[in-house]
Amino acid sequence: MSFARFLTKRLLQGAFVVWGVVTIVFGLRVIAPGDPANVLLPPDVDPEVRRQVVADLGLDEPLHVQYWEFISGIPVGDLGTSLTTGTEVTARVARSIPATLELAVAATVVAVIIAIPLGVVSATNRHEAPDYGATLFSLAGISTPNFWLGVMLIIILSVQLNWFPTSQRAIGLPAVLTFLFSGELEAAGAGFVTWLWYITLPAITLGTYFTALITRLTRSGMLDELGKTYVRASRAKGLPESLVRYRHVLRNTLIPIITVVGLQLGTLIGGAVITEFVFDWPGLGQVLINSINSRDWPMVQGSLIVISVGFVVVNIVVDTLYSYVNPRVGFDG
Amino acid sequence: MISELFGWLFARLPFGDGLRGLVSPRTVRSLKRGLNRNALAKVGIVVVVIVLLVAVFAPLVAPDKPGTQNLEEARLPPLGFTKATVQEVPVQENGSVVFEDGEILTENRTVYENATIAHPLGTDGNGRDILSRLIYGARVSLLVGFLGTALAMFVGVSVGLVAGYYRGKVDDVLMRSADVMLAFPSIVLAIALIGVLGDSLEQSIPDPFVQSGLSEAVRSAIGLPTGMPETTTLPGTIIVVVALVNWVWFARVARGEALSLREQSYVKAARALGASDAKILARHVLPNAITPILVLGTIQIAAIILLESALSFLGFSSANVSWGFDIALGRQYQSTAWWIAAMPGLAIVITVVGLNLVGDWLRDALDPGIEGEGGV
Repeated sequence: MSFARFLTKRLLQGAFVVWGVVTIVFGLRVIAPGDPANVLLPPDVDPEVRRQVVADLGLDEPLHVQYWEFISGIPVGDLGTSLTTGTEVTARVARSIPATLELAVAATVVAVIIAIPLGVVSATNRHEAPDYGATLFSLAGISTPNFWLGVMLIIILSVQLNWFPTSQRAIGLPAVLTFLFSGELEAAGAGFVTWLWYITLPAITLGTYFTALITRLTRSGMLDELGKTYVRASRAKGLPESLVRYRHVLRNTLIPIITVVGLQLGTLIGGAVITEFVFDWPGLGQVLINSINSRDWPMVQGSLIVISVGFVVVNIVVDTLYSYVNPRVGFDG
Repeated sequence: MISELFGWLFARLPFGDGLRGLVSPRTVRSLKRGLNRNALAKVGIVVVVIVLLVAVFAPLVAPDKPGTQNLEEARLPPLGFTKATVQEVPVQENGSVVFEDGEILTENRTVYENATIAHPLGTDGNGRDILSRLIYGARVSLLVGFLGTALAMFVGVSVGLVAGYYRGKVDDVLMRSADVMLAFPSIVLAIALIGVLGDSLEQSIPDPFVQSGLSEAVRSAIGLPTGMPETTTLPGTIIVVVALVNWVWFARVARGEALSLREQSYVKAARALGASDAKILARHVLPNAITPILVLGTIQIAAIILLESALSFLGFSSANVSWGFDIALGRQYQSTAWWIAAMPGLAIVITVVGLNLVGDWLRDALDPGIEGEGGV
């Protein structure tokens, strides 16, 4: 299959999933008990006022009309207005995207930097101390709830040792970049250090499960590869061990890991929701949790759609990358 | 000695005669071989069994009532630790306070509080015994873990078998809807569903040990406080929600199995003999697909326990004794009493490590060709 056809197929599948997501999100509001107008109005409100508010929200229309209005607003970026604050959902959600994105990327970077060397060391020293250490770490890592890890990091590193701030995000990367591009290098440098200082604990919290998972995968993948005949052949023809290990074995190990990393990005985004709650990090997860608690349905719908669509897009990118880097798979998948 | 014990167990319990129809002798052999090679699997089994026993017999083993507040004993440290707090106390001379400029003269004094044997893991912010809360919290976690997995398994396996067996349009519709479900991160979907369901499905189930008077009799005989709670919360909403979130994994595995099993000659033979589809699925397809489903089930219990703890940490569960909920309570004391948040988390880690070890053992021994899914 050609690349163009592969991409078209994946995009069509993605579009279908997005439509499904949007429909479910609409359906959730419809079947949720309680009238959205109740969020806006005191209980003893005049029925006439109440009818007016319901009409303003478009809730007196038949369901298919409501559904069409909801779904037709999405391509033009209209996700409605918040019931509690009156702000536009799109603007509010867009404002929280950078924080979540920074956190997810930082956690992935932490995970990859630690996990792959750890997995390699573990596999090449099988049944020795480093292997047991790495195995133990990855077992603990996939079994530790990240919110608890976050709370413990705060207690030990922030409260007791005072090394890191306990919560919040003092400055965002976009602001740092603004400084950088306007030539204020000193402010950009200071801003970056502050950013790093604030994001360290949340990134570790979010990245640990991922680190443990990738360590496991690297270890088992590398052990699989090391047992293959081409490894014996390369050793037999006298290639240095480092070349065999890193040029041949590690490369072949990493390819399937890309897919798993992609598939697990959903877990990462989900983990970000909790991490944001623990560290008071102003991202999409905060918006989602706060709006669920205040029954602010337009905001719930907006954040759900952005989170899931983001996940679908990432999956398409990962799939495409995977087929691109692995000639054996091609674009038939 | 331990291995003898396991040998004895194997000869008798589920893998022996009991479920011979369900698990083949070959499976039992590879399970045994896996267990002998893997010492960690034994650790996992022991941990899981202990947690299960503690959860079931909570009213008999808990040192105290999980809900009784005692502000006099609030924030006692766990055994082996001492809590030092600097308190402002009035200066006393000859048994009376001293006034200076019309105000009571005070001084800062460090007050040490030691752990007590009555509260081996310390007490929380309201003076409730942490160990007892962990023991009762195990009930909630395991109830949600096992019932949630069972429900997810039932839904997922039904959908997956039907999709894989009939293929065609049915398969397309069911699997495309599974794709849509997978586009939501599990915790996000769970939060949204709780937003819809509220706490409409919460139940209280009576505690047989307390209702029958057994636990009270035993407790008063050995001198433990009596008056244990008569009911246990069954967080129905959480169980339904975790099942709705996680059925997809079972559906995928069951579908894959059904796709390959439907081409087997014995299935074709059954069809040729005129067996109904329902009978073929129940008698021929499901029994042969059971191994990967059970392995996935073990892994899913761990994943669902983690999900439950995250949801109750975020305040979305109505269970008022729960590991995740207690961690959230402990956050208020993060600068004065670390153990309140630390202990429930350790309970989660130990339980989930145990389940993951058992899951790894089953997966390595039976090699059903599935990847572990889950995590929060």
